[in-house]
Amino acid sequence: MIEIKGIGRRFNTRDGGSFEALKDVSFSVKDKEFFSIIGPSGCGKTTLLKMVAGLIRPTAGAIEIDGREVAGPGNDRAMVFQHFVLLPWADILTNIGFGLELRGMSRKESREAARPFLERVGLTRFADHYPHELSGGMQQRVGLARALAVAPDILLMDEPFGALDAQTRQLMQEDLMRLWDEEQKTVIFVTHSMDEAAYLSDRVLVMDTHPGAVREILDVPLARPRGEEVRVTPVFTELTAHMWHELRGMMGDPSAPAPE
Amino acid sequence: MGRRYARTGPGANRRVSAVSQKGDAAVGAEALPTGLEGGSTASRTGWAPWAYRIGSVGAVLLIWEVYGRSQETTLFFVPFTSVVGALWEQIQTVEFWDAYRQTFIPFVWGWLLSLAVGIVLGLLIGRFRTFDALTKPYLTFLNALPISTLVPIAVILFGIGYASRILVVFLFGVVEVTLNTAAGVRYVSKDLVEMGESFNARQWTLFRKVIFPASVPGIMAGVRIGTGRAVVGMVVVEILLVAVGMGRLILRYRGRFQSADLYAVVLALIIFGILLQVIARRIERRASRWKYEMEQPA
Repeated sequence: MIEIKGIGRRFNTRDGGSFEALKDVSFSVKDKEFFSIIGPSGCGKTTLLKMVAGLIRPTAGAIEIDGREVAGPGNDRAMVFQHFVLLPWADILTNIGFGLELRGMSRKESREAARPFLERVGLTRFADHYPHELSGGMQQRVGLARALAVAPDILLMDEPFGALDAQTRQLMQEDLMRLWDEEQKTVIFVTHSMDEAAYLSDRVLVMDTHPGAVREILDVPLARPRGEEVRVTPVFTELTAHMWHELRGMMGDPSAPAPE
Repeated sequence: MGRRYARTGPGANRRVSAVSQKGDAAVGAEALPTGLEGGSTASRTGWAPWAYRIGSVGAVLLIWEVYGRSQETTLFFVPFTSVVGALWEQIQTVEFWDAYRQTFIPFVWGWLLSLAVGIVLGLLIGRFRTFDALTKPYLTFLNALPISTLVPIAVILFGIGYASRILVVFLFGVVEVTLNTAAGVRYVSKDLVEMGESFNARQWTLFRKVIFPASVPGIMAGVRIGTGRAVVGMVVVEILLVAVGMGRLILRYRGRFQSADLYAVVLALIIFGILLQVIARRIERRASRWKYEMEQPA
């Protein structure tokens, strides 16, 4: 269980002042839960995720995983990045094994250990290709496989499909759903797509902005496994409509067009 | 009417866009081979740039030759072919190779030293702010100063043996290697570093597996530029103060007005310098290949 206890974060600004990115954020994520965080741009959702990853320290409150306070990155967590962040000089198999390599495994062993994950994300043919030869969707599969390869309990995903086109994005969501059904890991998933949050999650945290705070936490009452068809059910439509209503209220312009 | 008009509107637009798309595709298909010839990939492999290079050098050599032959005396300016002839004769003498060796040995030591020290120093400076602050005054000083002015001091301190020449070659090369390496480290993508940290890598592992390989293009640029500078240092020290090796040959031939021989020594040095540059550039390109490929669409 991940417990976020009264987290706050201030950043110093250039002019000597400070800016409050997050204020008094508290919630908890259950084991094996798919938990999404949604909110307008600049609401601090990525900052929050990076705090769970141990990359940023909170200036108030604490984060506990199974009762132990997070003091930095740990082997129990792995992250998937919006812009993939692969090694441009290494081939796909090395990239997938790179998380293991960073944790002290030799290149040879890590490449060997990466092979099953290469297959699981459907990139077997591309083992010795380089990242720039792959499409965005394929690159993010590498990013996902790299995270899965270190066998984390918790997968932290920072708008992982945000840089992909709409169609690729939908395919990736379905693939992630399938992988998650097999793996049953705790997932914290940051997104600004309401469809994505509703389709994937058990619960969705809707964030307030300026400063970032918990607005509400929504249950997604859709049975699993979920197929494409859930996207057209009344429950799904109602849920996304509700999220849109909430988010729209936070955006300055009431006539702002709906994001995809 | 209005409705009909509205309907033809988008229809017409669609047609226009279809045409323009088709047009773009055709242009794209045609542009591809041309783009390859003119692009950076082709400048390495295509024949056209080479034709221009050879033509350009050939023209200058031809002017040199014609002008040289028009001179009444060979005291000052000699035709290119005489220089080549003189070089051909020189390389058959023991003296030439002795001089080359005398010049070459301290050069190699000073050059290798400048690479080793420059790379290590650059890595430290790029990685640690304290180190940057500690060394900045000296690097600024060395960068602002014509290194030649240090040659007399080096000779006073270390005499006219190998040591002072090694030192000068080293000083000429080390600044560029250091600064380029430091820049290479400093501009490693922050995302890559964060990725490494998120996987709970130890500092040393992160450096070895992420920061160092990502800095290689910067390091290699430093090696290439520093190598060029080291060659300059090698010649400068011999001409300015320690008349040995190739420098001694230059001074002697100048003193006797043996212009063809003088130019021949210079030509030999130029060939040596170009050779080193070509090798360094080749190594740099190979080591930085991922960077070029990343910048081009797959």
